[in-house]
Amino acid sequence: MKRISAFVVALTAAVALFATDPVSAQQKPPLIVGAIYVGSVNDYGYNRSMKDGLDEMKRNIPGLKLIEAENVPETAESERIMEGMIQQGAKLIFATSFGHQQFAFNLAKTHPDVVFEHAGGWMMSANFGNFFGATQSAWYPMGVAAGKMTKSNTLGFVVGVPIGYAIGNVNAFEMGARSVNPKATTRVVVTGGWSDKAKEAAAAAALIDQGADVVTMHVDSPATIIQTAEGRGVYSIGFQSITAQQLAPKGWITGLGFTWGPFMTGIAKSVIAGTFKPAFVREGLGKMMAIAPFGKAVPKDVRALVTASAEKVENGFNPFTGPVTDNTGTVRIAAGESWGGDKMGSFDWYVEGVIGKAK
Amino acid sequence: MNTALVLGVLASAIASGTSLLYATLGEIVGERAGIVNLGLEGIMLVGAASGFAVTAMIGDPFLGVAAAALAGAAVNLVFAYLVIGRRANQLATGLTLMFFGFGLSALIGRPFVGTLIAGLPKLQFLSLGSMGNPLLAYDILVYLAVPTAILIWWLLFRTTWGLGLRAVGESPVAAVAAGLSPGRLQYQALTIAGLLGGIAGAHLSLSLTLTWEEGMTAGRGFIAIALVIFAKWNPLWAIAGALLFGAAESLQLQLQAAGADVSPFIMNMIPYLLTLLVLIVWGWSRQAAAPAALGRNFVGVE
Repeated sequence: MKRISAFVVALTAAVALFATDPVSAQQKPPLIVGAIYVGSVNDYGYNRSMKDGLDEMKRNIPGLKLIEAENVPETAESERIMEGMIQQGAKLIFATSFGHQQFAFNLAKTHPDVVFEHAGGWMMSANFGNFFGATQSAWYPMGVAAGKMTKSNTLGFVVGVPIGYAIGNVNAFEMGARSVNPKATTRVVVTGGWSDKAKEAAAAAALIDQGADVVTMHVDSPATIIQTAEGRGVYSIGFQSITAQQLAPKGWITGLGFTWGPFMTGIAKSVIAGTFKPAFVREGLGKMMAIAPFGKAVPKDVRALVTASAEKVENGFNPFTGPVTDNTGTVRIAAGESWGGDKMGSFDWYVEGVIGKAK
Repeated sequence: MNTALVLGVLASAIASGTSLLYATLGEIVGERAGIVNLGLEGIMLVGAASGFAVTAMIGDPFLGVAAAALAGAAVNLVFAYLVIGRRANQLATGLTLMFFGFGLSALIGRPFVGTLIAGLPKLQFLSLGSMGNPLLAYDILVYLAVPTAILIWWLLFRTTWGLGLRAVGESPVAAVAAGLSPGRLQYQALTIAGLLGGIAGAHLSLSLTLTWEEGMTAGRGFIAIALVIFAKWNPLWAIAGALLFGAAESLQLQLQAAGADVSPFIMNMIPYLLTLLVLIVWGWSRQAAAPAALGRNFVGVE
């Protein structure tokens, strides 16, 4: 199916190539930027956050032209689509999904005059930079919100694929919850994929059946899980995009989202000025991440607590500072030690208070 | 095992088994008339997308279900024309139909990704007073699933029409000798199969997920085809089969939520292990139950 939509995208790109645009013929844009998304930008999730960032970049730089392609599979198809964008004059390409990395990197070698920015990977070269949000510590304030709002002291977390980073998100969430509510536990359900909506609905239902009255998630699109929670009358906390509030007018607490706009604007400006320097960028709250507006149900004192803990994280507080014990009682981070950066991908254990197995 | 777990598994099994049951019933009707349709997944996708699209545009989920049923039937009639009218190979045509369904549903659903819909309303028939148990509130398609299975069973096994249809599936030559028109009966069977396949897809998008996403059936069409074998081509057995498979999917999620001491990677394999197990256990008695002319194209009598 991805193949078919990719074909349509390629076809559209080809048509656009031959169509003459009277506006751009008169005034040359300062920069043409290409962007590929793995899903739809209307997912209330990851792809939406990327789209919002790119739109902000477009607003910040008058005349900038943005070429976009949705539903671009993480296959060699993506290379052809990016190649098409370069043929249309793109000098900066945002490859926004993890699996686009190798294909973007291949093109970076053959097109040294084009700058590539990839989200969430590790590859780097003279014209290839890498960026992502430092999500783990940013989950701590979400835990504070959940820990204060829960009445059953049971929080539910739906995880798509239990990679180290996702486990780290759960851990920081539970630690945040424990910091304000020592009785709070987090139950985890793994669906086995980043996007299987029917399973996500069943997973959220399972957590609610087990007593969870706050449900959150790390999957591509939070839409189905938030709607399931709303339908069952429990609270929800969103992730990926800060626009998901409308999915749960009653039960929305808050959410954690990416704010890529300033970074993308900076990169585009550096490409225009010819000063681009590749960098490996990981930024958390206050830079690449933000807290979504609070829902109606959240009282003032809770809002203040959450905002304060977000500021604490912004100012350098690291929840992964020892001693940290896992849920079998073993000390994993010794006193005086603290984890950050690359270490965030290496979690294969849950902290004390999480009910679930990591492997 | 705690009570919440058992109730939870049951509630989820009913909710997710409903879609499987409609799809399985449709496939049973088609296969009883001698036609295997591997494109069921595509039919479900078209149903899910068009049901969602119509609900998003008009705001009435019941019209959405109707649109999904009609769209499913329309696509299945294309399949029917190819395998009955043009005598194309059923397996190859079915797989082609699946890919066609993927593409068509992506096209239909594209403008509606991210649209918010209300979905099918939940009816609380068995309201337990103050408990207000959400486990006992389902949408209309759930309540109609078992009656539909009984209706299909009655049509197939208690009416002359059903006798004729099954005769076509067993021996089209004998059916012709009895004065029946195999082609016409097969067209009728595949229309019903398409209607039910479309409804199966609509239940996913209009009740469970409340969103449309490409490929969202995630293999449930193929599980339904396996369920036909499990049910021995009997609509009443299909009820048990759909519940069992619905339960297998929800059991592993519920066990995780309950904190069972098992790796999530093993948990995620449960539904597929069960499918394998069922096919092994059921394997030996399969031949007796399958319609004799299943999968073979009828080329007419000399």
